Amino acid sequence: MNLEVNNISVSFGDHAVLSDVTHTFKEGKITMIIGPNGCGKTTLIRTLVSMYAKDGDLSYIPQDIYGDTGLNVRDIVSLGRYDSSKFFQGESEEDKKYIDDALSLMELQDKKDQMFDTLSGGEKQRCMAARAVCQDASWFIMDEPASNLDPVHSKHILNTARELVRKEGKSFIIVMHDVNLAAAYGDEFVLMKQGRVMNTADELTSSLLSEVFDTSFECVRTPSGKNVFYSD
Amino acid sequence: MRTQVPDKSSDRFVIKFTIAVIMLLCVMAVSCCLGSSTTSLSDVIKYFTGRSSELANTTVTIIGRIRIPRTVTAALVGGALASVGCIMQGVFRNPMADPSVLGISSGAALGAAVAIVLGLNGVILFGAFTGAYIGAMIGAVVTWILVFTIATRNGHYDTSSTLLAGIAISSIMSALITVIMTLHLDDMERVYMWMLGTFSASTADKTKLLAVVVVLMMPVLIFIAPRIDILKLGKEAALTLGVNQKSTLAVTLGACSCLLAFCVANSGIIGFVGLIIPHIAAFFKVTKMRKRLILSFMTGAIFMVICDTVCKTVVAPGELAIGAVTSLIGAPYFLFLLMGSRLRSGKEKISS
Repeated sequence: MNLEVNNISVSFGDHAVLSDVTHTFKEGKITMIIGPNGCGKTTLIRTLVSMYAKDGDLSYIPQDIYGDTGLNVRDIVSLGRYDSSKFFQGESEEDKKYIDDALSLMELQDKKDQMFDTLSGGEKQRCMAARAVCQDASWFIMDEPASNLDPVHSKHILNTARELVRKEGKSFIIVMHDVNLAAAYGDEFVLMKQGRVMNTADELTSSLLSEVFDTSFECVRTPSGKNVFYSD
Repeated sequence: MRTQVPDKSSDRFVIKFTIAVIMLLCVMAVSCCLGSSTTSLSDVIKYFTGRSSELANTTVTIIGRIRIPRTVTAALVGGALASVGCIMQGVFRNPMADPSVLGISSGAALGAAVAIVLGLNGVILFGAFTGAYIGAMIGAVVTWILVFTIATRNGHYDTSSTLLAGIAISSIMSALITVIMTLHLDDMERVYMWMLGTFSASTADKTKLLAVVVVLMMPVLIFIAPRIDILKLGKEAALTLGVNQKSTLAVTLGACSCLLAFCVANSGIIGFVGLIIPHIAAFFKVTKMRKRLILSFMTGAIFMVICDTVCKTVVAPGELAIGAVTSLIGAPYFLFLLMGSRLRSGKEKISS
């Protein structure tokens, strides 16, 4: 199933955050949403979530979660197995396996009894990612999943996404600020500016980035054949 | 060869719950013995095993009409307040949330006080349900909505503004109660009771009414508790798990306000129980909301029965205010938490 938005406009008071956005997110792909701060990326994916959440087949990873959860790492991950139709929320053997697999996938096995609130920013993000994996939905919608991660873990989380797409046919929509990571892992790119979708592309180019960020981007090719973007 | 490693994540909830039930029964039995006159434990046991004919009439009256209603009320109020505190800490995602800190108890007390001075305190139902209960309920709901509205910014609750709003609203409510007391000196004594809290006015009818409310509302909270954990992930993530923020909060608000209003109208503002007890439950490594809620109820009931026993014995035949006893234990703990959070927010990690 593809996720579609048709002529969506959202405004907070007088301030228009999204104007007339139309796009079809294709399944089985990693779609990267790129654009400057405040261009409506988070609002777009939140709108998507509220439109499609009822179908019960997507999971959402927010940028951050607020306040004190009072829960430990394993508790947070296990919330992914929550079933709103059941009164007893005991864990079946299957649930336990999902939880353990998700914990080890995000390398959180040693931290599972630690309180979530005492984790570092990056560990929290990995924990939230593990929770989403545990939910086992077809669509993953992630709001800057790597903003607090070191380069190794950023690559790890995106490699995991790649694997999930390849092996299990999952689909990803990821808001990403690191254009090089986005270029390396995205199948499709949605470039946003001032509440509108400026462009969509299958490959990032320096001219696309220059246009959307209003600053000139250059591209160099590494010896291994990868494109690296930088801006002066 | 692999050996079976015992699952560390199991929290042994059933064992902890069973111990709590046994402890509660023990402290309640002891509390039934103690008071301005002492009754022997064997008399209490005789009363419960249907051999009250062997006891003197005065003993039967003391146990049946005074001790049991009072002890049961203390247990119910303690359990209910701790449960509401536990739920509020989850909803506001704030370890310092509690009905008295956030001014919701004061709101309920103000509602009850207004009902009393307006002469609405006539008995309406069951020989116990009075206008004060309705006033308290309205007061609790209005205050809760007020705190919620002020503390919510861009769809999430700000920890510090929740506390500040609660403290400010609490002092407004207390000030209004003082004004009402000054304007209606005849009712002063009755209103003053709400400011301090006491179980001494417990009667069998009032206890039954409270028990009905607790029996109706606790299952609602136990049902909704896992959803409060889910809401901690944020509104959108909760939606993908089938949890709607608005309806969950509405049910929570209704059930908590109802419990709180009946507790406050029954025995006044009793501070800090809702604050400390959920932390004690967390100390026993029970973190998920539903189990924590159930354990908080039991621990709160035990704590309150012990506090009430202290109240009615240390200065017998006089009485200490229950609010004073719970606050004397609770307030220092609150300060301890405050110091802890200041240390944690410091530049350096004290220990790693």
